[in-house]
Amino acid sequence: MSNFLHFENVSKHYGEVKAVDQVTLTVEQGEIFSLLGPSGCGKTTLLRILAGFEQPDSGRVILGGKDVTDLPPYERKVNTIFQSYALFPHLSVWDNIAFGLKVAKRPRKEINDAVEAILAMIQMEDHAWKKPDQISGGQKQRVAIARALVNKPQVLLLDEPLAALDLKLRQRMLIELDLIHDEVGITFLYVTHDQGEAMSLSDRIAVMRDGKIEQLGTPAEIYEAPRTSFVAAFIGDTNFFDGVVAEPLEKGVVLDGMLSAALDKDYSRLKVEDFPDVECYNDKQIRQGEKVFLSVRPEKFRISREKPEARPHLNIIQGMVEDVIYLGSQTKYWVRVADYQISVIRQHSRFLLDEEPIEWDEQVWLSWHADDGFMMEKYSEQDEALLPAPPDKVGDEVEPEVEAQ
Amino acid sequence: MKTRARTRWAECFVTLPSLVWLGLLFLVPTVLVFAITFKPATPYGGIGEGWTLETLRTLGNPNYPAIIWRTLRLSMLTTGACILLATPMAYYMARTGEVWRRWLLLLVVLPFWTSSLVRIFAWKVLLHPEGLVKQALVALGLAGPETMLLYNENAVLLVMVYTELPFAILPLYAAADKFDFQLIEAAKDLGATSFRAFRSIFLPGIRVGLLTAFLMVFIPSLGSYVIPDVVGGPTSEMVGNKIAQRTFVDRNLPHAAGLSAILALTVVAPLVAITVLRRKTSPRDALREEGI
Amino acid sequence: MKPSRFPLVVTWAVLIFFYLPIVVLVVQSFNSARFGGGWESTSLKWYRQLLKEPSIWDALMNTLIIATTATAASMVLGTSAAFALHRYGKSLLQRLHFSLIYTPLVLPEILMGLSMLLFFVAINVELGLGTIFVAHVTFCLSYVAMTVLARLQDFDFSVIEAAQDLGAGWWTTLWKVLVPILAPGILAGGLLAFTLSIDDFVISFFVAGPGSTTLPIKIYSMIKYGSPPLINALSTLLLLVTFASVAASQHLARKGEPRRDPSRARITMAQP
Repeated sequence: MSNFLHFENVSKHYGEVKAVDQVTLTVEQGEIFSLLGPSGCGKTTLLRILAGFEQPDSGRVILGGKDVTDLPPYERKVNTIFQSYALFPHLSVWDNIAFGLKVAKRPRKEINDAVEAILAMIQMEDHAWKKPDQISGGQKQRVAIARALVNKPQVLLLDEPLAALDLKLRQRMLIELDLIHDEVGITFLYVTHDQGEAMSLSDRIAVMRDGKIEQLGTPAEIYEAPRTSFVAAFIGDTNFFDGVVAEPLEKGVVLDGMLSAALDKDYSRLKVEDFPDVECYNDKQIRQGEKVFLSVRPEKFRISREKPEARPHLNIIQGMVEDVIYLGSQTKYWVRVADYQISVIRQHSRFLLDEEPIEWDEQVWLSWHADDGFMMEKYSEQDEALLPAPPDKVGDEVEPEVEAQ
Repeated sequence: MKTRARTRWAECFVTLPSLVWLGLLFLVPTVLVFAITFKPATPYGGIGEGWTLETLRTLGNPNYPAIIWRTLRLSMLTTGACILLATPMAYYMARTGEVWRRWLLLLVVLPFWTSSLVRIFAWKVLLHPEGLVKQALVALGLAGPETMLLYNENAVLLVMVYTELPFAILPLYAAADKFDFQLIEAAKDLGATSFRAFRSIFLPGIRVGLLTAFLMVFIPSLGSYVIPDVVGGPTSEMVGNKIAQRTFVDRNLPHAAGLSAILALTVVAPLVAITVLRRKTSPRDALREEGI
Repeated sequence: MKPSRFPLVVTWAVLIFFYLPIVVLVVQSFNSARFGGGWESTSLKWYRQLLKEPSIWDALMNTLIIATTATAASMVLGTSAAFALHRYGKSLLQRLHFSLIYTPLVLPEILMGLSMLLFFVAINVELGLGTIFVAHVTFCLSYVAMTVLARLQDFDFSVIEAAQDLGAGWWTTLWKVLVPILAPGILAGGLLAFTLSIDDFVISFFVAGPGSTTLPIKIYSMIKYGSPPLINALSTLLLLVTFASVAASQHLARKGEPRRDPSRARITMAQP
């Protein structure tokens, strides 16, 4: 069933600030859909618009074929899991879960059965009569989920539901959330600033920034083929290089026994200062002369002492190792090339102690396939300033700036 | 050993001044009230020798139960009205913007800084047969020219609400300020209407504030004396008036003491009831509610 | 989600309810008519007459003397009491101490007034300014103690140890460390005590003797037996003083650190 949940041109302003800017978005029934972005990107506002806590300035929200834009929260078949859980402190776990059903004036028998069933599902039968302040953070989380799910909502909204938990618990709850989703099959709309949560849980992700959706796709699509420098930097680590698109690559073609040149539209040559020419896949058809960022993820590099054999579309540069961090399953190298300090990750698929490891101050060769680099347009100088990490000083460990909302 | 002795001495040094002062000037006089109830009065307004049950017998006069009942009734009505007005206001104050909220708080506290006598007198001016309220009511046809707004129970009730209202607003505001309004959103998210969320989530959430407001309005109301004295009449006397009358007019101190003893017991009753009620909740709840 | 307008309406109604009588009172003080019925003419006649009443100024003097001395005494006693309660916590002695400090706050004033009167009569003390002073210290003490105690809740006692570690004797610790840190709380308590003392009528009325009329007692007798317009004028002057001092303290508070309202102290302490 398509168009199960549809935002159409939804905008919301707070004074001068555009919290949500002309967002159009479709969520399929039954999927886990994540809104991912730094704080203030509008993801929570979008969620609150769906829940009915905020009225959009313009645009419509369609849920299950019905326009719900003007409905108050209590008439929408969506339920929210709040970041702080918002469990009612004066009610027991049981009464918290039963609240929605009681408000809906369901028969007592039905309420009892539904609450008992969901308590069993979250394995909290023994804690049914405790107050929220007598149970642990993970248990509160489960009660919050149960309290929402017991109403059989069309969409379950999760507003940074794991932010209040410590790392270990967060990982466990992530698995639990996934299991619960498999069990109930309800559509999840998941808001988070944590790319790890979004990647591991979601069917699809919308990366948001400044009220707009920057990119929408499966976790793999977003990681492997980021469309903007913001997405590349926000999702995972990457290295940015400042470049200018040079002439399109020539493809050697043998024609009538003579070597002739033809243009290869798929690949472009790129000028990066103090670098040999770089080849890059140009899926966006960026024109010659444009300034771009080239993004290459750390694990896409191959690092070696010997110069790799030249092959078509293989970029090879030389650099010096400035730092080596052994991490067990992998090693992280910082390699100096011209002005750039490049982050490189090498997975250890073979027994490491048998080889002579690359050390500090060694001259090494880095190589990567042209398909593994992505060019992103620099839209404007101002846009550049908004980037999460300074791309001109590449090699800075690019971690998404996250702060609890 | 030496340190402990010094600690002991230090504790005494900071404790004794106030302990002795209050023991002598608060505890002893309070005990005295109960003791003097059983003393005879002298014709010259003093306290006689020996012990007697004369005062208790006089208090059996049906006049007194009526006055005590009126005191209780007016105090309950005052408390109810104050809480009914203060709760929506506290809700509004907690939800409104920072600047406006500070102004509101100041406006609520300001009467508390002004002389209570002046504020009571202001109502006497308003309710006076030639005062603004009376004239307005007559002009609107809501009252006849003969209607007396002053010197009755309604006037007493009105001014009592006026005087005690800040003491209901402040604790309720303090509780509403601490209340997590996301819970209201959560309730609506689960299908509750605004009213249902207010009743099932907000009111239980500020129950400590409600209790404090109740005590802070109800207890002083029981001891009202100036208000019924200034805007009330002979038909709206409260226990406080009688105590003052016996002290200043009849100069029958044992009688005044007897009435005070009854008033003291009336005041202690709700306090004890609430303490007992609180004991029932778990110690952890109690601690949390004290804000510790 | 549209919020209900009901709380807003109630808030405005309450504000009008609060300030209407005060405004009418102030306006009437400029009305030359003897009985506030009609508007005769705008005049300052009642203010002029007020100046000619020496008994009012005597009463004001008495009130100020009592308020100042009672505040000073209750600040010392109350601070020391709060310190004792906080530091020595849950001992039997301190629990008794706490109930002695707490109970005067919840008892109606009239009970305290009468009990003190009985006490002074029983020990044959002549009623006058002295007895009023003693009575005021007794109830102000509790307010100061509770205000300071509230401040002490977030007081870090390790600063005492730090001071001693750095070689300060207990006298130096008291004056250079404790008092400055607790000063805002003590001052807030003192301000509250001063206001309550100036405003107190009921207790003063019970323990006052001939010649010890305070301003509230004077106002009361004027309300009962005097001329209404004169009280209007006097009340207006009092309101003016109150509003001016509140405005001044707000101004000072805005300059300094965020001040906790003394009235909030009463909330803290009113929770049994």
